[in-house]
Amino acid sequence: MASSRRGFLRLSAGVAGLGGLSAASGCGAFGTSKNSSDKLTLWYWNRSIDDGLLAESPKKISGLKLDAQKIGGSYKPALLTTLAGRASVPDIACINSDIATYFPDSDQFVNLYDHGAKQYESLYLPWKWKQGVTPEGRMIGFPMDTGPTALMYRRDVFAKAGLPQDPGAVSQRVKTWDDYLEVGSVLKSKIPGTVLVGTISTIYGQMVAQLARQYSGPDGRMLADLSGVKNAWDTAVKAKKMGLSLGSAENQPDWFAGMTNGKIATTVGAVWEAFIMLDGAGSTSGKWHCCRAPGGAGNSGGSFMSVTKYCSDPALAFKLIAWLQSPANQVKSYTDIQLFPSAISSLSDPAMDKPDPFFGGQRTVDVWGTSAKNVKPALLGPYDSLISTPITTELTNVENAGKDPNRAWDDALALARKQLKHAGVE
Amino acid sequence: MRIAKRSILHLALILGAIVSLFPFYWMLVMSTSTTEEIFKYPPKLWFGSKLLVNLRHVFDSISFWHALLNTLFVAVVTTALVLFFDSLAAFVFAKYDFPGKKILFVILLATFLVPTQLSLVPSFVIMAHLGWVGSFKALIVPSMVNAFGIFWMRQYAEGALPNELLEAGRVDGCHFMRLYFNIALPALRPALAFLGIFTFITVWNDYLWPLVILTNHNKQTLQVALSQLNGIYSTDYSMVMAGTLLAVIPLIVIFLIGARQFIADLTAGAVKG
Amino acid sequence: MTTTTAVTAAPGPGAVTTAAATGQQRPKRKRELLSLYLAISPFYIIFAAFGIFPIIFSIYLSFHAWDGIGSMKYVGWGQYGYLIHDNEFWYSLLHTVEIWVISTVPMLMLALVIAFLLNTQIRFKTAYRVAYFIPNITSIVAIAIIFGSIFANNFGIVNSFLHALGGGQVQWLTDPWGIRVAIAAMVVWRWTGYNAIIYLAGLQAINSDLFEAARVDGASQVQTFFRITIPLLRPVILFTVIMSTIGGLQIFTESQVLIPGNSGGTNNAGETMVLYLYKQAFTQQQFGYGAALGWALFLIILIASIINWRLVQLRGRD
Repeated sequence: MASSRRGFLRLSAGVAGLGGLSAASGCGAFGTSKNSSDKLTLWYWNRSIDDGLLAESPKKISGLKLDAQKIGGSYKPALLTTLAGRASVPDIACINSDIATYFPDSDQFVNLYDHGAKQYESLYLPWKWKQGVTPEGRMIGFPMDTGPTALMYRRDVFAKAGLPQDPGAVSQRVKTWDDYLEVGSVLKSKIPGTVLVGTISTIYGQMVAQLARQYSGPDGRMLADLSGVKNAWDTAVKAKKMGLSLGSAENQPDWFAGMTNGKIATTVGAVWEAFIMLDGAGSTSGKWHCCRAPGGAGNSGGSFMSVTKYCSDPALAFKLIAWLQSPANQVKSYTDIQLFPSAISSLSDPAMDKPDPFFGGQRTVDVWGTSAKNVKPALLGPYDSLISTPITTELTNVENAGKDPNRAWDDALALARKQLKHAGVE
Repeated sequence: MRIAKRSILHLALILGAIVSLFPFYWMLVMSTSTTEEIFKYPPKLWFGSKLLVNLRHVFDSISFWHALLNTLFVAVVTTALVLFFDSLAAFVFAKYDFPGKKILFVILLATFLVPTQLSLVPSFVIMAHLGWVGSFKALIVPSMVNAFGIFWMRQYAEGALPNELLEAGRVDGCHFMRLYFNIALPALRPALAFLGIFTFITVWNDYLWPLVILTNHNKQTLQVALSQLNGIYSTDYSMVMAGTLLAVIPLIVIFLIGARQFIADLTAGAVKG
Repeated sequence: MTTTTAVTAAPGPGAVTTAAATGQQRPKRKRELLSLYLAISPFYIIFAAFGIFPIIFSIYLSFHAWDGIGSMKYVGWGQYGYLIHDNEFWYSLLHTVEIWVISTVPMLMLALVIAFLLNTQIRFKTAYRVAYFIPNITSIVAIAIIFGSIFANNFGIVNSFLHALGGGQVQWLTDPWGIRVAIAAMVVWRWTGYNAIIYLAGLQAINSDLFEAARVDGASQVQTFFRITIPLLRPVILFTVIMSTIGGLQIFTESQVLIPGNSGGTNNAGETMVLYLYKQAFTQQQFGYGAALGWALFLIILIASIINWRLVQLRGRD
């Protein structure tokens, strides 16, 4: 490297340019070599892995020297840059719920099935496990946490509106999404100014999160039959027509303010949303309850651990992953930093079953756990965002600019098709 | 009448200052509150009592002082190099004629316009080839001279450097480096002050490039370290604000030092010669 | 040899007379030329080493389809062809220009006035300077939270104020024009003090005797401002106009932090060109298209910069 440095500087871009381009297109001289350090580097976000466990891991796994690097903020651009540049790629990387976007380049990752992952498969929620496996059957992501969803509602507001307050009774009352909208109109008529939900995007997103067939099939192409998604769209539009939303985007100041002063009576969301609400609308803590979401179980969010092909010791890396995500350690991660487990036995661990002060002392693990166990295995495609982004953008136009829903739907699909074609998918 | 005019002037300036300062004040409030209080509705406008707790969280979570020293080193070195190289080039462009001047300056200006949003990957490839990944060189060397500063200093020098003065120096037989050090630099002090402040702040707040290039703990800069405080689902804003507040204090100091150069008389004397 | 080159914006006698014309001192002139080239060389060396390759890469990339990791696929002019028919891009151009006009023009005027005032004999100068500069170093996260609260639709400070005055509420963060105004307000807020500091530095170069003479002649502050300050500040004004053109057409951060979702909100009203580029490249992993967008941006900024340069120069000749 040292000898080429001066030459590089003198000749500047021409030669280096070609070298870099061929490296980036995958046939360069440099790029296939493995990381040489005797330490394994691990990239993760704050609060995605329990720091205590990481500190403990070298003692538990013989021969492990770990360099755990917490990468904040722009995690994905940073990871993509190292992968594209074929340098400084971490041995082990945490990957977010968009793991399917890495499927077309699954050759960049180690197939965990080659390192004995199969024997762990039965320990984890099947739908979660499948999300880390490519359509060709390569396993590139090991289950970390999950984001089971539920209905969260203000007990005090429900009481005022003469609605049931007990979680069991509420879940009986809102079995379907239509029931949910009906509760919304009761709330609206009994307590004027109260809305069911902050934004109709919540309804749309959470209905899609319950679907087994969302946007694309195993080949990444858009489903010919988008009836599930269209049904979610229609329900969201209906909520808008009934005047059940405030029109404030999730997790924004307006949304939190609406929660705080009791204008927003319910929301549907993943288990981690409750922690955001605790931060953003903390004064309402204790006034909430949660129960099964209308329409049933769903998942939103959750992460995976991957081993890159640059890893010098994939077997050791896999050992670390399996240990970090063992059922016992997932319980510890939940009690320490509220990461909801993906291991089946963790869900029934007594340590999980605690009264939750945010939900007025309700023991919530049953609600989240039941949801987690019943999520339908959804096919997530690498190009889903090319379809979902136009739809959610158009839904915003319907909600906030009064755009005609039919035109908005047609525009969204037209743009989605155009983008997919542009990406070379259709 | 004069007093009334003055009062109106001050009133307008104070009003503007309040508008400018309010988010900063809010940042102070946030760093002394709990995250729950930050999002309180209606907003909480007075300081809380959690500053020390928040600061302790910051110090427990990241190696703050180490990152501070790293950032100081990179920022000071880069700023010093930028001030020298930019002002030297600007002096030449403003006050000398030479073959190719026009085209060279046009090239310099054109580099501004080049889209840099996608240069992350190729720049990273260069650094990987050079073996500079994980080294401060990767931060300092590419930014030690820039078109922005040269353009700025040249525009400034047009008005601030009287040709008669330089002519006099030349008649006395001064070499051009002597002219640069003895005549140009003193006259350019206010411009250097702005460029220094600007460069220092830019380097200080730079985030994505250091994040990609310096992943090892002991080389981390402050912004990279602070970004680790963001959680995957939710963020402890009170802690983030406390950390951010600490990171901003040196910038205020730098600004105060730099702004002292904007005192009219100080330079007037030098230019009058 | 003694006149200014065409790119030189400032009026005045021009460059230092060199000895070259006399012919007697050729070796000396040669030595001097060498040191001149040496003095400007660092920029070009660094640019050659670190700047050219990313440019070549980006041009190359714009003729390919690439997801950022795997192999690139050559698509010829395909990305540019797509761009020509991409409504979202053309709208992003329109939105950028709209936001740019309603932010840059008031911002530069305000900055000039503030700088002029802060340069007069006034008390608490330092305090004012710090106050006006502070927005530029306030954390963007804090700014996002506070501006989100200020402009919030239902429970925002601005709307509460409008309501108290008996006015109607504006859906700042969801109405297409509300979004643009809110983004522009944030730009003005963040960058006015910064530009004021540039002008303030520029004012230091103006001999204070001139202001003194004007005062003795009985000129009012307004007259001084238009007759002395503005003409003498022209090179610096040109600098800020060009930098605001480039920076303004690349507006991105303000829009991204204020409107969640990287799409600019309702009708993509806050989606600027760079935000669109960012979305295509980093959230949809269309890096080839991102590169093509980058070069379209280059062309647009180039044209805008040339127009603005000419405008400032023409006004100078009046």
